[in-house]
Amino acid sequence: MHVVRLIAVAVFLILVLPLPGGAAPVMVAKTDKCPVCGMFVAKYPDFLAQIIFADGSYVLFDGAKDMFKYYFNIKKYQASKDLSDIAFIYVTDYYSMTPIDGRTAWYVAGSDVFGPMGRELMPFVQEADAAEFIKDHSGKKLIRFDEVAPDLIQGLD
Amino acid sequence: MGAIEKQRNILDFTLSSLGRRKGKNIALVVVYTFVIFLLASVLFFTHSLKKEAFLILQDAPEMTVQRLLAGRQDLIPTHYIDTIRQIRGVQSVAPRLWGYYYDAMSGANYTLMVNAELNDRAGEIIIGNGVSMRSMSGKRNQALRRNDIIPFKTYDGSVLTLKVRGLLPFASELVTADLILVSEADFRKLFSIANDQATDLVLNVRNAKELSTIAAKITQIHPDTRPILREEILRTYDAVFDWRGGVIFMVLSGVFFAFIILAWDKATGLSAEEKREIGILKAIGWETSDILLMKFWEGSAVSMAAFFMGIFLAYLHIFLASSILFEPVLKGWSVLYPSFRLTPYISVYHIATLFFLTVIPYTVVTIVPSWRSATIDPDSVMRM
Repeated sequence: MHVVRLIAVAVFLILVLPLPGGAAPVMVAKTDKCPVCGMFVAKYPDFLAQIIFADGSYVLFDGAKDMFKYYFNIKKYQASKDLSDIAFIYVTDYYSMTPIDGRTAWYVAGSDVFGPMGRELMPFVQEADAAEFIKDHSGKKLIRFDEVAPDLIQGLD
Repeated sequence: MGAIEKQRNILDFTLSSLGRRKGKNIALVVVYTFVIFLLASVLFFTHSLKKEAFLILQDAPEMTVQRLLAGRQDLIPTHYIDTIRQIRGVQSVAPRLWGYYYDAMSGANYTLMVNAELNDRAGEIIIGNGVSMRSMSGKRNQALRRNDIIPFKTYDGSVLTLKVRGLLPFASELVTADLILVSEADFRKLFSIANDQATDLVLNVRNAKELSTIAAKITQIHPDTRPILREEILRTYDAVFDWRGGVIFMVLSGVFFAFIILAWDKATGLSAEEKREIGILKAIGWETSDILLMKFWEGSAVSMAAFFMGIFLAYLHIFLASSILFEPVLKGWSVLYPSFRLTPYISVYHIATLFFLTVIPYTVVTIVPSWRSATIDPDSVMRM
């Protein structure tokens, strides 16, 4: 019994601790749809973005671009929610394909890599990764979360 | 009830009428069965080969990096790993050690591969089923077992004896048949390979979109290397097996045309005797539809019997008799597999294709001429 508990604690620590705050990224279900474009998200795990609210509910997106569209216009998609209700934002790191914190990630705009919804913001966990990506895939701009503006997102479409 | 009873009676009559022309019909079924057998064999064989290759390569690493020396593959220095690991998008890089060993005693080429599980068990090996059957001790019919000892001649001329620790599982005979897993230390000793060299490097890459970028960077950093993507290997295998299947199909097309001529002859020209039979049946009150029904049953009986026998024989041939007929053409470079049994994979699609290409056309062409003679006046048919 003791051993089982130890293992459970260890698994919990490994899975949850390295992520900011505590809420782990959600597992994508086959029926989850992107609220912005309406496409099924499970088909595009490479670009997955997620917003997790403080009450535990969440929305999934098939790319960082759609996540920002939702973020900038949250009332349009879900009238009952506010930006302050958002607990966590996750995006998928391009190189490791693992979920990373969307607020601290580095984003590259305008590259030759296309997501399911066309031109995308590509997220990176480290600045150096993003810089390398810009060089390899003719990226245009390197920005942080706070610098992403609605104009820029509109410009991608 | 009456309808079924009628069908039954007509079928009964058809079968006994087939029995009356025994020689002709048996000859037809035999040729028909043979054609189906050959076609089905080729289909089963190439399909299984492709499937096996696919299964094996599924777990293969996304990219393999080889070093070339004057256009030939050469040993790769392991310090390349450090520079390649720096490339963004590369999850892991591992060296591999493998090669071929020619055993003069049995005349067989074995594939030797280093397995990490054996690394702290130097002196022991795990062998494939084929190696076990064609034991290097020279005793042909005696399979090697656990704890048996196999002598290897090393590249510096000495003898290295290795103990069999176990046999590889049956899962895929095609690749594991001639495989011997050894420890790294033994492998280096056997082929005199320095510690800082490996056969090739394997890379894991999480993002498939990055593969070509990574490959380009590798060739830029190390111009003497050649990165090979898993998709390229898969495509090559597919092409090779398709090509081999094509060669056999070419050879068989002669047989197939002979069959078409036979079927055409049998189908389009009814013999005078058959015409007379139709005339008599009409005279005693059979309807044209009854005669067509009879001919339909006749055609189906002949072709279904041939079809199922052909498929059954092909299955036996490919999956139980080690495809004796195709062996030399299809097996390729290493013809040394002592017994070569494919894991059976049969797709409904192939069976259906074969069915619609043989049974259906045959049944149809047998009906047309009967319809022609069945519509003629019985009196004139019997007078002929």
